[in-house]
Amino acid sequence: MTFDIESEIRKWRDLLRTGTSLGAGDIEELESHLRDSVDDLSERGISREEAFLVSIRRLGATDTLADEFAKLSTERVWRQLLVPAESDAGRIRDRRELVVALALAVLAVVLGRLPLVFGSQFPDDAAVYFSNLPFFAFVPVGGYLWWKRSLPTRYLWTTGSVVALFAVLINVYPDHPPHDTRTLTGIHLPIAIWLTVGVLYAGPGWRRQDHRLDFVRFSGEVFIYSVLIALGGGVLMALAIEMFGTGGLEIEEFVTEWVLPSGMWATPVVAAYLVERKMGRIESIAPVLARMFSPLFLLLLLSLLVAILVTGNLPGDNREALISFDILLAIVLGLVLYTMAARDSADPPGWWDGLMLALLAAALVVDVIALAGILDRLTTFGVSPNKTAALGENLVLLINLSLLAWGYGRFLARKQSYRTLVAVQMRYLPVYALWAAFVALVFPLIFGFR
Amino acid sequence: MSDGFSISKDLVAASATPIVLAILSRGESYGYEIMRTVREASDDRMNWTDGMLYPVLHRLEAAGSLTSRWRTADTGRRRKYYRITDTGRAQLHELRQQWEVVHEAMLRIGGDG
Repeated sequence: MTFDIESEIRKWRDLLRTGTSLGAGDIEELESHLRDSVDDLSERGISREEAFLVSIRRLGATDTLADEFAKLSTERVWRQLLVPAESDAGRIRDRRELVVALALAVLAVVLGRLPLVFGSQFPDDAAVYFSNLPFFAFVPVGGYLWWKRSLPTRYLWTTGSVVALFAVLINVYPDHPPHDTRTLTGIHLPIAIWLTVGVLYAGPGWRRQDHRLDFVRFSGEVFIYSVLIALGGGVLMALAIEMFGTGGLEIEEFVTEWVLPSGMWATPVVAAYLVERKMGRIESIAPVLARMFSPLFLLLLLSLLVAILVTGNLPGDNREALISFDILLAIVLGLVLYTMAARDSADPPGWWDGLMLALLAAALVVDVIALAGILDRLTTFGVSPNKTAALGENLVLLINLSLLAWGYGRFLARKQSYRTLVAVQMRYLPVYALWAAFVALVFPLIFGFR
Repeated sequence: MSDGFSISKDLVAASATPIVLAILSRGESYGYEIMRTVREASDDRMNWTDGMLYPVLHRLEAAGSLTSRWRTADTGRRRKYYRITDTGRAQLHELRQQWEVVHEAMLRIGGDG
């Protein structure tokens, strides 16, 4: 077996990422050190494998290393006799992080009430709140990541002005019935804003494939935490309404109009904080869920295909069906992405990769059918914002699924590495941001805000 | 190791901050280069575990003695460069004086061994 330094470095990075509380910046700094060290030693005539081993050993055992970073000084070896106050630096930063996260959660709630200033009540003007949701919920996440990564202020300015531009445009756009473009904006805006937040997640390394993959993983975990928090919050609110109700106090209105929306806006930043702090270490649950549901979704897709073949009913017969097809395809893409995030790129092809290819192939067939349905509707009923958006989504997904299927095929045939497959997929991610931004911002202009 | 001895852990720990500050007072640098400078200056007798340098750097940065920024080197490798601040220089000045006091005291006491 030949020595592949890239795969060794990746394994080492994974170990640091999953097994320790080191941040992406810390890991990148250590990786840069490791590579410098390997290069330096190799120049002195040592083989790269040996240079790698020596460098790793010089860096120190990963767990002690992680402890050092985590505590940032309580270990006696590095305790500075001369600067005693610093021994608490790590703990102070921990506490400060919690304060920052909570402050940003409060900010989310305050932002969420901003429409009141412009005379929009909740829930009477629910649409205003709906289309601005990503600003309330994701902007604090961006702020938190910016703080956590200690990024330069220019990151805050650039991402902030992009988001501000979105916010202003969305809210000055007029709105006419049947509100199709506004609904589309509401659906697409979160994707665009979240991917913008991704720039803050990865910091200076946002162009790098591995950082993008980390962000994919992060997004999955934030989503799962958010769902868990929502479940707990739901139980809490239902109980509160019930308990107060038995005492003759009707608080349902207060809960649904104030507590529920506030909780919704504040959840993502709290979830992001939990993920970053690696609380409870459920960080790998997104890939586990992906693994659990991949075969089930394959089953669903296959039975769908059989149903279409047997009944001869194309899904294009109604609009709702088309939208649920789009959602199904998006979920398949999500499953593949999270499987990707959990997989070691260096591993050889296995039966699981075959299953992924089957899932992708089935999704492709379904997508082509859905596409035919949309084209059919377009030619019969003419152009509408909804159909055009559905068509665009389908094309974006179709290209993506084809690229993935092609990549998996070549990987299984051992014609390309898994890494190339990941790289292609990661390079494709911004397409979603661009498309989502396009639908959110340009569609209302094209279709006259209807 | 060239002379068969290396600096004890406690001394390494105590000298880490002044040494890092002294190296950075000569100009901006990054982790690996700092480490190499330490190795060369001490004839390989200061055995730092490479990774342990970073918590020290980060702590000094948190204390305001250093600032850092990411830069891409000519080779395309991205590195985090550290630069000393005025606070850091003041701190270095004080630490250096303290070391000199200790060093002088050792010399004056003399003794055997």
